[in-house]
Amino acid sequence: MDIPRRMDVIRDYRQRGGSVAAVFPIHYPRELLRAFDILPVEVWGPPRVSTSQGAAHLQPYVCSIVQNALSFLQSGGLDVVDLLLVPHTCDSLQGLGSILIDFIKPRQPVLTLYVPRGQRDSDVDFLADELRASYRLLEAITGRSPSDPELADAIRREEAADALLAELHRDRQRLPLSDEAFYRLIRSREYLPAEDFIEIAQAGRAGFHTRHTRRDGPDSRAGFQTRHTRRDGPESRAGFHTRHSQRDLNPALQGIPVILSGILPEPMSLFGALAEMGGRVAADDLACCGRRLYPAGQSADPFRHMAERIVGAPPDPTRGSPIQERLDHLLRLIEVSDAKGVVFYDIKFCEPELFDLPQLRQGLREAGIPSLALEVDINDQLSQPVLNRLAAFLEMIQ
Amino acid sequence: MSLSDELRYWSGNALGLAALRVVRWQAEGRASSASGWESEFLAPPLKISPRTKELIGRHYLKGRYANLHQKVAWVTSGAPIEFLKALDFYVLYPENHGAVCGTMRVAEEICTQAENAGYSRDLCSYARTDIGSVLSGRTPVGRLPKPDLLLACTNICQTVLFWYRVLARHFAIPLILIDTPFIYTEVREHDIAFVKRQIEEAIPVAEKAAGKTLKADRLEEVARLSRAASQLWAEIIARGRHHPSPISVFDQFIQMAPVVEMRGEPFTVDFYAAMLKEVDGRIARGVGVVNNERKRLLWDNLPIWYRLRYLAEYLGRHGIAIVASTYTNAWGELANRIDTQDPIDGMARTYIYPILNRGTGDKLATMKRMIEEYGLDGVILHSDRSCKPYSIGQMDQRDRLIRECSLPAILLEADHNDPRAYSEEQVANRLDAFIEMME
Repeated sequence: MDIPRRMDVIRDYRQRGGSVAAVFPIHYPRELLRAFDILPVEVWGPPRVSTSQGAAHLQPYVCSIVQNALSFLQSGGLDVVDLLLVPHTCDSLQGLGSILIDFIKPRQPVLTLYVPRGQRDSDVDFLADELRASYRLLEAITGRSPSDPELADAIRREEAADALLAELHRDRQRLPLSDEAFYRLIRSREYLPAEDFIEIAQAGRAGFHTRHTRRDGPDSRAGFQTRHTRRDGPESRAGFHTRHSQRDLNPALQGIPVILSGILPEPMSLFGALAEMGGRVAADDLACCGRRLYPAGQSADPFRHMAERIVGAPPDPTRGSPIQERLDHLLRLIEVSDAKGVVFYDIKFCEPELFDLPQLRQGLREAGIPSLALEVDINDQLSQPVLNRLAAFLEMIQ
Repeated sequence: MSLSDELRYWSGNALGLAALRVVRWQAEGRASSASGWESEFLAPPLKISPRTKELIGRHYLKGRYANLHQKVAWVTSGAPIEFLKALDFYVLYPENHGAVCGTMRVAEEICTQAENAGYSRDLCSYARTDIGSVLSGRTPVGRLPKPDLLLACTNICQTVLFWYRVLARHFAIPLILIDTPFIYTEVREHDIAFVKRQIEEAIPVAEKAAGKTLKADRLEEVARLSRAASQLWAEIIARGRHHPSPISVFDQFIQMAPVVEMRGEPFTVDFYAAMLKEVDGRIARGVGVVNNERKRLLWDNLPIWYRLRYLAEYLGRHGIAIVASTYTNAWGELANRIDTQDPIDGMARTYIYPILNRGTGDKLATMKRMIEEYGLDGVILHSDRSCKPYSIGQMDQRDRLIRECSLPAILLEADHNDPRAYSEEQVANRLDAFIEMME
């Protein structure tokens, strides 16, 4: 699929005169950064980096996402960015933000954003104030002062991208994409400018519409390939075709559907392994994906509008959503996707996820939904015990 | 409440209080002759210790029968409890209960109950102790009252929010959240306004649960008592600046229970006034908590509850007194922020500001100030697996202390409540090396 590489996107954006911010998990207003012509590029780890530099500052009981992020920064992986944004997501990211500001002092300015833990009016008002404060800091850093109409433009662009993202999630079972291809597409939202994401996502949906209007004829398949392989050479095109031809044409009919819950699906080979075992992801409750389907805001004030979007996102423990809301949300996802079970795919030491697990699993059990809890480290390959448990789970729910 | 409930409440309390008083008298009789701890190296325990035990015993005794008589709130240790006290809630602190379990060495067994129910061993051991106790009913204090209301304040960690969401669903009761934005560098006015608004909005919820209306004069009175107890506590721990120090952090860890869980009560003020008098008496007589005080240390982070005595004796044998702690200091340093004239605004300005809600650089500055004020020779930083907000930053703090203060500083890996994350051999080896460095 023709999804530009992260480094190419960063280079192109900077060449056009824009700046780039590395943004740590989870919630933040993309539109605010874009109004300042700053491209947010998210840092979820990244997986499989040497953690030795982070280990000089963080104890081993800090999760691998935060360990890796710091190591990546210190090894020069973020030298290309102009700004670091650390949302206050959990105790570990709080600590990371704090030691960056107080001790490590990277070359780039470090901004923090306190995301409130409730869904009350007071939370929306506070977050709007917090975003105003961020605006003032960005003003000081960039020398720009985007007007309200400019902010509104940025908001509209991001809302359009988010609406499309939500459609992709909704229609995922009918898209001609493997799970891995689907997640590569939607996770490109982590670094693509909204307008570029919209173009690529629309191409993906066009493939789906073409297929469905032409009853999956060979032309539509060719059309989809053409759209998505313009940049790739023959080898990668062949790879795409080989990788997806076996099951992409009508994946909705293949595999045991499950819900994937957790922070992020790393390593992405998880999806291939799942497919080989006869499973597929029917919907997700992942922090980097399904929990960030931000609704459109309502208020005319741009800051309150942006705050409403974040506070109104699907349930998330890091934003303090009650466990019952999370359970209800999972049950709704199961209902609309016909999933047969839930796989909790959690990062070791991740308290927000681990605290909810027993009650969520109990609630699912009471609703007759089997679940599996797996614990991983983003630096590890999928281990055989994890694969064995996944295979056994799929067999059980088949 | 029915008449029989009231009778059970009053009779249970009366009998229990009498028993606790007898135990206190017996302990006071023994106190001067035997401490239980190595008296060759350490001073006898504070004479007030039996009274502390009685206070804590009374607190849990009252809790045992509280559901028969009044509404019960479970709260996080740094929560603004003054409005709950003013509404006559019985206020229980699961973290303090956890510390009691840790000190009495039953925490591991109770944690296992939570782990068997699916709670990961990587979660905070206070939370596992509490959840294990809730699920199994096990507690060394007899019985914990069921809560009618939960109050979680994020000024100490985000863990409490995750933990109290579990409790809220388990008990199917309201959870009041006081969300305190973390202070990376400085407090902003919109942070204060947010906290104040949450407290204002929490009051009607608490009033509804209590079935009564908050009275302004009662709230002011509770705030005054909170402030008085906290001020006395600050004075007591500041006495550690004397050479030799009349009080160690091990004393402070034990004696801090009332200022944490009994703020806003007149008897807590009386208790600390008496304690201050005793500590001053030690200063007047030149009594040090370590008989031959040679070195003085700072302790960072929570205690290792199940090894207090071991650490006190181990260090005492080398003439080392730990005389200051960022942890116990936290319960006194904010005393003057408590505003008795405008308690709600004062609560917002106070409770956003504990050390755990401030940046890692601020904690380093606090440690440096304490090193100066207390005349310290080294720092032990307890890297507490169960407390990430306190522990993250310690590696840089240690390096800065060594470099900028020219003091030895070590990290001790452990867990405040779960002995399975503690290795005595490793701790002893590291302490030996640390002591050599100081010599």
